[in-house]
Amino acid sequence: MTLVAGLRAASYGIPFQPVAGVHGSELARVNQWQTLRDPYGSGTDVFVIPAIRPDIAVIHAAEIDELGNARIYGSPFWDHPLTRAAKRVLITAEKRVTTDHLREQPELTLVPGFMVEAAAVVPRGGWPGSMHPYYEIDYAAVERYMEDAPGVLEQHLAEAPETTPTP
Amino acid sequence: MNWTPFSFIVINLARQIRAGEITFSGVNSTLPMIACMLAKRAYDFDFTWINVAGGVEPQPLAVPQSSSDPAIVHGSAAIFANQDFYDLCARGGLDLVYLGCAQIDAEGRTNVSAIGSWENPRVRLPGGGGAAVMLPTAKRVVTWRTDHTTRALVDKLDFVTAAGHMTALVTPLAVFTREPRNGSRFRLEHYHPATDIKQIAAQTGFAFESSGAQPAPPPTPREIDALNALDSDGAFAVTVTG
Repeated sequence: MTLVAGLRAASYGIPFQPVAGVHGSELARVNQWQTLRDPYGSGTDVFVIPAIRPDIAVIHAAEIDELGNARIYGSPFWDHPLTRAAKRVLITAEKRVTTDHLREQPELTLVPGFMVEAAAVVPRGGWPGSMHPYYEIDYAAVERYMEDAPGVLEQHLAEAPETTPTP
Repeated sequence: MNWTPFSFIVINLARQIRAGEITFSGVNSTLPMIACMLAKRAYDFDFTWINVAGGVEPQPLAVPQSSSDPAIVHGSAAIFANQDFYDLCARGGLDLVYLGCAQIDAEGRTNVSAIGSWENPRVRLPGGGGAAVMLPTAKRVVTWRTDHTTRALVDKLDFVTAAGHMTALVTPLAVFTREPRNGSRFRLEHYHPATDIKQIAAQTGFAFESSGAQPAPPPTPREIDALNALDSDGAFAVTVTG
C-alpha cells in the first residue's frame, strides 16, 4: 500500500503521496518516511511516501492488437498504477486480436497503445501463475519450483512457455 | 465432533464475522478464506465477503489452494481490485480484515518483516503487503497462527511491521481477544477443551489475563457440515498440524 502510494505519486506527477495508516510501524523509521500536518487545520499527521518511478513496467495482458492496445479480463490487480507510474511500458499478451475487436468494448482496454513501447504475444505467458479466463494456477509446477535442490531452476525454465514451441 | 487444529482455527476465525459487515481476506490467507466461505454456509446472517483476487460476493466452484487464486472471483458480479479494497480500508470502510503474522505481541502488533534485526536479519520475511496501512485503518483485524509457541506469540517483536486495530488471535489452542485501541492487551477468551490455561500460558511468550476464559463452544452441526463440504477430502486439514 505504501508501495502503491509511491507509484501513485509518480503517476500523478508529484514528489510524494499521502497515505492512511502506518502509525506505529517501524517501516516508517527504516524507510525514513516523514509525516506532514494537515495544512487545512484538522490536526491530523499524515505519512507521505516518496514517488517511485520504475524505469520499465512489464505486464501480461489477455489480448493485444497491432497498435499495442492491451485488454485485461478479470481483476487488473496492480496493472493500472504500475503502467501509469513507469517511464516505459512493455506488454506480453496471450493472443493477438484486431483493433475492431477491442473497439467493441473499449472500457476493457487497460493500457492504450500510445503508452506501449513494445509487445510480444506469449501464449501461457502467465505460467505457472493463472491467466483469467484462459488457465488456472499450475500448483504442481509451483511446488516443484519451490523445492531447494540442484536442477530445479533449469527444469522450471525448460517447462516454461517461453522456451516451448507454440502448437 | 472433536476439534482438530484445522477446525478450531477455521471455525473460530469464522465466528469473528458479524452480521452486515464487510469482511476482507487477503494473500497467503487460506484459512481465513475458508472461514469466510464457511460463514456463508453455516450462519444465517448476511455479510459481504470481498477478497484480494478482486471478488465481491463470489460463488466459487471449489476451494483453491491459494487465497489469491482467481477461482474466488468466479460468480462475482463486480471486480473490486487491489486499489479499490485498499482505499476502502484506508477510508474506514472495511469492518473486518484478516491479516497474517510471523510474530505477534500482547497488544496485537505484528511482525511480518524480519526475524532478528532489520539491518542483519536471521530470516528476511516477505513483508506486510499493506498491513501497516490496514491494521490501523480497518475497524477490526483478526490474525491466526497454525502453531501456538513462544516463538510466534512473543513478549517483544523483533520488528514492528504494523500496529492498530487487532481484535483477535486464533491458534490451534486458543482464542485471544482485545479492544481495538492503544494499550489494550490480549486476554484469553476461549481455549481448546483438551488443554488448560496453564498449558496455554507455558506456550505463550506474553503475559495475559485469563479470568473468565471458557472452553470454546463446540462446533455446531452446521459449522461441521460446512467445513466437511469445503474440505471434503481433508486436503486442507492435513496442512494444519498444530
